[in-house]
Amino acid sequence: MSANKVKRVPMPELAVEERVKTFDEVPLGYTEEQAVLEAGRCMQCGNAPCIMECPVNIDIKMFLKQVSLKDFKGAFLTIKKYNPIPAITGRVCPQETQCEGVCTLGKIGDATNIGKVESFVADWARKNNVREEFDVVERSQKVAVIGSGPASISCAVDLRKSGYQVVMYEALHKAGGVLQYGIPEFRLPRDVVDAELSYLSDIGVEIRLNRIIGQNVSFDELRDEYDAIFVGTGAGAPLFLGIDGEKLNGVYSANEFLIRVNLMKAYKFPEYDTPVRVGGKVGVIGAGNVAMDAARSAVRLGAEVHVLYRRTKKEAPVRVEEMRHAIEEGINFVELVGPVRILGEEGWVKGIELVKMKLGKPDKSGRPRPVPVRGSEFTMDLDTVVVALGTRPNRLFLSRVPGLETTDKGIIIVGDDLATNIDGVFAGGDAISGGSTVILALGEGRKAAKSIEDYLAG
Amino acid sequence: MHKDIVNKGVGAMSMDVKKNSGHEITRKEELNSGDYLIEVRAPLVAAKFMPGNFVIFLLHEKGERVPMSVQKVEGDRITVFFKKLGKTSRELDSWHVGDCINSVVGPLGNAIELKKYGNVVFASDLVCGHAENYAAVKGLKGAGNHVISMQSFPTKDDVYPRKELSTMADEYFLTTADGSQGIKGHYTDVLKGLLDENKVDMVFAGGDIPSLGKLSELTKRYNVRTMVTLRQIMIDGTGMCGACRVFIDGEMKLTCIDGPMFDGHKVNFEEVIARLGMFKEEESVAMEDYNSRGVCHERK
Ligand SMILES: Cc1cc2nc3c(=O)[nH]c(=O)nc-3n(C[C@H](O)[C@H](O)[C@H](O)COP(=O)(O)OP(=O)(O)OC[C@H]3O[C@@H](n4cnc5c(N)ncnc54)[C@H](O)[C@@H]3O)c2cc1C
Ligand SMILES: Cc1cc2nc3c(=O)[nH]c(=O)nc-3n(C[C@H](O)[C@H](O)[C@H](O)COP(=O)(O)OP(=O)(O)OC[C@H]3O[C@@H](n4cnc5c(N)ncnc54)[C@H](O)[C@@H]3O)c2cc1C
Ligand code: SF4
Ligand code: SF4
Ligand code: FES
Repeated sequence: MSANKVKRVPMPELAVEERVKTFDEVPLGYTEEQAVLEAGRCMQCGNAPCIMECPVNIDIKMFLKQVSLKDFKGAFLTIKKYNPIPAITGRVCPQETQCEGVCTLGKIGDATNIGKVESFVADWARKNNVREEFDVVERSQKVAVIGSGPASISCAVDLRKSGYQVVMYEALHKAGGVLQYGIPEFRLPRDVVDAELSYLSDIGVEIRLNRIIGQNVSFDELRDEYDAIFVGTGAGAPLFLGIDGEKLNGVYSANEFLIRVNLMKAYKFPEYDTPVRVGGKVGVIGAGNVAMDAARSAVRLGAEVHVLYRRTKKEAPVRVEEMRHAIEEGINFVELVGPVRILGEEGWVKGIELVKMKLGKPDKSGRPRPVPVRGSEFTMDLDTVVVALGTRPNRLFLSRVPGLETTDKGIIIVGDDLATNIDGVFAGGDAISGGSTVILALGEGRKAAKSIEDYLAG
Repeated sequence: MHKDIVNKGVGAMSMDVKKNSGHEITRKEELNSGDYLIEVRAPLVAAKFMPGNFVIFLLHEKGERVPMSVQKVEGDRITVFFKKLGKTSRELDSWHVGDCINSVVGPLGNAIELKKYGNVVFASDLVCGHAENYAAVKGLKGAGNHVISMQSFPTKDDVYPRKELSTMADEYFLTTADGSQGIKGHYTDVLKGLLDENKVDMVFAGGDIPSLGKLSELTKRYNVRTMVTLRQIMIDGTGMCGACRVFIDGEMKLTCIDGPMFDGHKVNFEEVIARLGMFKEEESVAMEDYNSRGVCHERK
């Protein structure tokens, strides 16, 4: 069988009727044969534009070649040189706007499925216990990494490989950041995340959980104890709409909803103790990855779900695969509506008042600006409202580190080398962007590690 | 304070992340038919606790994160009072000295401002309030105040930790609803008397939320500053989920990081009470499930 240049090797997926009942992963993953075939579709372009568009510049051409030759271990080691968590990025990167978006094959048919081959390679290595081997020359200098999301993970791995003594501090009782509490298991199974975290421990990064820097461990203590600090505290604080009715029972921030479902496993209630209440009809406000994760979780909890979005599907900032899955799973997209107020009865959500929108001139993001249509208000019955408007950096940490320079939205200001204004303190990930992607956070973690090494050597 | 465990070299033994936090129960006592006391090892909390702070308990992998007030610190141990309410508190009630709790996170929230106010009242009528009462009286006395402690209970068999408080505070008032011990009535009745005599400069209180509402109404009339503990339902306790949001003077605040104490004169108590009822049905499901299984989750 030779590879088809036009069409991808189809990804086997859990049937829709199955998936809406479980939190099992939707794509079932390529078999070895399928991965070899898909990797073999790559044309090995001279200029390999895919590599340029991968934020960490993985040698994609090389690892696809290795997979096509069944050298899975070689492929794994190639990827690992650039990316410590390929099992995760292969699953959650917005490939269509990155590596796959510019793939030459895309001009004649489907782009190479780089993401799925990447996660195949990483899964293969995990199952076969294949690890990257390297020597560590121990150094006595100590670095504290605050947070345990992708930025912190990559920073910690690189510093540890260079021999520094690295201690990771995480506020929650489980490490992983958004990978643990935010992204649901049907997109990112927790054994995948746990494997990456146990790798951290294996190479000698100490993880201290339940440590909230600025609250039960002060920032000054860290400064006294460590030679350098990386701040990867993310942007975990939810934004609310600020409209009437948001106080009602049945209104969740997407963060609360997802923390209940993912971190606390409320979908297994009452086996797990934390409840989540969904009701029959759920409205999710927003249409990004966070909104779609909440919507698809609510479907699995048995609700009828409506995504309420002020633009149209075309502008929705969500991974293409997620949008497709959401529609397959029966989620109703209500386009061009804005929330006016949440309606209640006896303290509980009863519905929502929406106003119709039309698309106007492009705004700063380049997307058409939604403009409310006067007098077009209408209402919709709902039992639950999930607000997925985005997040901002947690003000707890910032309020306890008064000297740290931030924007008025609490985004930490850094230089090109990711150094903050405080000597020896570096930052990366959502804490410096206000919210971006796993792979960008990861890239920044690596870059900060490099700067920290320079700083400690200097 | 933290023990440094640094794994040297590659391929060192995989460290079980869970072992980072095992909190041994070192003492457990029944306080009355509805409340019990637990003392656990929690060195980080013990080292940093200030009156007003709280902690979050997570019994085990499958548990819920439940906020708890701290009564006192001794060495690397803390004491908390649990009310037997639902699933978590009843499950923990079946645990024994030597068992380990997965996580005891804290101290969380803001400490009360320990300064000289003059004549300060701390009043409490429910389990969490009594723990705070103890912690605060100690702290406020240290700051040079004349501290008046008040506790209210339904009946005499419910009373605790009375002896400790009555010897520690400058003045101590005990009330029971049925008059079986102390003064018949509620702390608000006693407080009213003191307010009439113009003897109070500052009031702190914790416990039953509707009582805190009544208290705040009362002290507002006398224009005496009042800080009350709001017990909102919480998850992370770090400002990330928004579950604990309350509106103070119309402005959204998070109980976990802006509280847990707020100016009682600015709180809309009806809203707070409504939000506390959000998971009533699920709480009873959890309880029934727990009862029907009759076993608790595995623990160390
Ligand atoms: C629901 C959801 C879905 C997403 N889907 C995608 C996707 O499909 N693809 C994609 O590329 N990106 C996605 N993103 C975005 C992506 O997850 C983030 O950009 C990325 O996780 C940021 O990484 P980080 O390391 O900066 O921080 P985070 O992952 O946010 O981790 C920060 C960690 O720091 C901890 N912390 C905070 N303050 C303190 C403190 N004071 N002390 C100690 N610890 C602290 C937090 O508890 C948290 O664990 C999604 C985000 C969400 C919320
Ligand atoms: C800052 C703070 C301090 C607290 N201190 C104490 C304390 O010292 N001792 C103590 O016993 N409890 C305290 N609580 C309340 C405690 O967290 C709840 O009692 C606990 O969650 C009950 O769990 P459960 O599974 O036993 O009962 P559940 O079945 O979860 O709940 C039973 C009942 O408790 C109410 N409830 C549930 N969660 C909360 C909550 N977070 N706050 C208030 N009521 C709740 C429910 O409405 C229900 O009526 C405190 C809460 C906060 C926020
Ligand atoms: S890390 Fe992301 S962008 Fe880079 S190759 Fe992998 S899937 Fe593509
Ligand atoms: S652009 Fe596409 S076809 Fe070209 S090397 Fe990259 S993956 Fe292969
Ligand atoms: S408990 Fe989550 S924000 Fe307060």
